[in-house]
Amino acid sequence: MEIIEKIKNNKLIDNQTEIQKICLHKLQSSPLPNPKSELWRLSNKSKFSDFLDYSINEKDPKFDIPYPKNSQSTIRLIIGESYQIKIIEENYSIQQLSEDELDKHIKEQISYFDQNENWSDLLNLSLSCTKNILGLKINGSKIPPIEIFSHASSNSLNAKTLVIFLEKNCDIDLLQVNLGEENSSLSQSTFFCLEENSSVNHGVVSYGENRSNLLNSLNVIQQKNSEYNLGSLHFKFNFARFEIRIKQSAGNAKTNIKSMQITKKDEQISTYTKIDFNGPNGFLDQLNKSLADDKSHAIFEGSIIVPKIAQKTDASQLSRNLLLSNLAQIDTKPQLEIIADDVKCKHGATISQLNEEELFYMRTRGITLPEASKLQLSSYFQEIISFIPVSKDRWDLLDKLLNEK
Amino acid sequence: MASKMKESDPILEVENLFASTDNLPILKGVSLTVYPGEIHAIMGRNGCGKSTLSKIIAGHPSYNITNGDIKFSGANINSLEPEERAQSGIFLGFQYPIEIPGVSNLEFLRVSTNARRKFLNKEELDTFDFEELVKEKLELVKMDHAFLTRSVNQGFSGGEKKRNEILQMALLEPKIAILDETDSGLDIDALRIVASGIKKISNAQTGIILITHYQRLLDEIEPNYVHVMADGQIIKTGGSDLALELEKKGYEWTDNFVKET
Repeated sequence: MEIIEKIKNNKLIDNQTEIQKICLHKLQSSPLPNPKSELWRLSNKSKFSDFLDYSINEKDPKFDIPYPKNSQSTIRLIIGESYQIKIIEENYSIQQLSEDELDKHIKEQISYFDQNENWSDLLNLSLSCTKNILGLKINGSKIPPIEIFSHASSNSLNAKTLVIFLEKNCDIDLLQVNLGEENSSLSQSTFFCLEENSSVNHGVVSYGENRSNLLNSLNVIQQKNSEYNLGSLHFKFNFARFEIRIKQSAGNAKTNIKSMQITKKDEQISTYTKIDFNGPNGFLDQLNKSLADDKSHAIFEGSIIVPKIAQKTDASQLSRNLLLSNLAQIDTKPQLEIIADDVKCKHGATISQLNEEELFYMRTRGITLPEASKLQLSSYFQEIISFIPVSKDRWDLLDKLLNEK
Repeated sequence: MASKMKESDPILEVENLFASTDNLPILKGVSLTVYPGEIHAIMGRNGCGKSTLSKIIAGHPSYNITNGDIKFSGANINSLEPEERAQSGIFLGFQYPIEIPGVSNLEFLRVSTNARRKFLNKEELDTFDFEELVKEKLELVKMDHAFLTRSVNQGFSGGEKKRNEILQMALLEPKIAILDETDSGLDIDALRIVASGIKKISNAQTGIILITHYQRLLDEIEPNYVHVMADGQIIKTGGSDLALELEKKGYEWTDNFVKET
């Protein structure tokens, strides 16, 4: 109940929105996620307590964006900063959602929430004040790449919410960056609605500093003929969870996911995905990679749900994992729930170590062991990084990963 | 010819070498000396220790030297890491070249070449200068430039992999090259290309050890010495005639020799 007390004792409680009240009410009946449930049983209890430990902070000090903006053609937004966004160009428009639109959409989402499955969203929405919710309505084509930053400042728990409506025939590249300062917790929930014939290349890059924590939840609804491509990367968190829920609401949509989590020291990072096909001819190609070093723990649990209505679904889910230390741990569980009888679905998981023979081969060519390991890792990372819509000349993710201590 | 070569110091000296893996003895007292300009062939049945000898000289971490020494240019290299041996000029051409998915062949070749050049106090090459160098070396093994853009050995045919090995040898300019069954899996034309590449790369300062089962590679590259290995030892050494003799007699006599000794 501590978290409920903490939210209630928040000094800004008097200004609570209706959504915050609804979510807080729901949380009261289920103040913490069920530790025995499939979604939470592997989560480290003590680390999860670390997440909840910090005091709630709704005000953000200014922070340094991790790489320079060197292009006028990029739209860069920071959740929590006051904006009035209204960009109307010949080919496209980007506008802030009105309070009514936001309210309506979020309330509708909440009505479908399961107390346990959506616990992270309930927490997020009970904490996020109006200033920390960014809602955008995007329309058109030839839209410049959009970058949206969320961040948690030291010694505090920050909650940020992003809602995006992608209107019909719209096509965008959107990079979301979640940053945790030292000793901080960030709760980030994102709600994405893709209307018919819309398409997005969505990148999610989350990284922290010493002892930072993250609860990152992503909810995507895809209408017919939409295409959702997600490339994600999570690293350097004491504790992080990335929860992805995607619903192809009428089938006939495409989803491609390439995600990766990297754990070191005693970190725990997990990815949970639920892909729900609610109509025929749906397509999914999903690859999750985990790399665990030292005494860390990486977790992947993915489920694909194919009900009877989802005939002709073509879905693939693969989990590929690399253990770099004898003390590191990887749990992986890709799973299918198929009721429909005319589908093509496959899943698989592998856990391996750096290939000794490859390393020896490179060493016999004069490449040192650290360089050879780096080359191997770069090829392992590259497959995911190349799927994240960020230009290399502005931010070399591969370099950052390879040189991360 | 041999006596002229021996006026200089040996490149490689293997002295009474014993080695094991997982406590299983593999080499049981191998001695071999290679001088600059010499070509040695090592022949023998599968499992006699030929490939193990090559891997141990290259520094494979799975093998332990239990007795004896390996000297390269006069210095003991028993405890050197594989990359230190390679940088100083030992090249191992693999029987089964390893595929490294995701690592571009061009970048791999450039990093390797620069590691060797750094050891030789030569200037490291940037991408453009390296492209020039590699273009010239590709000619030696008649390889297409397109191979450079692919991942290391991934999707290469057997012959292409072997040619890629010789390309690496050409770029690294080793003092000694140990070529482990470079002829296996090659058709006649590919064998000629590979053999011609080896001949063009080798010179009076280079030593070459060819590990092979067959005479056909030795028809293309005539060795100064042929060694026959059995049960982890060199049991006979002779000139190129010995290879012809083996071709006629087969390896059965080596089994009897081992039994008798």
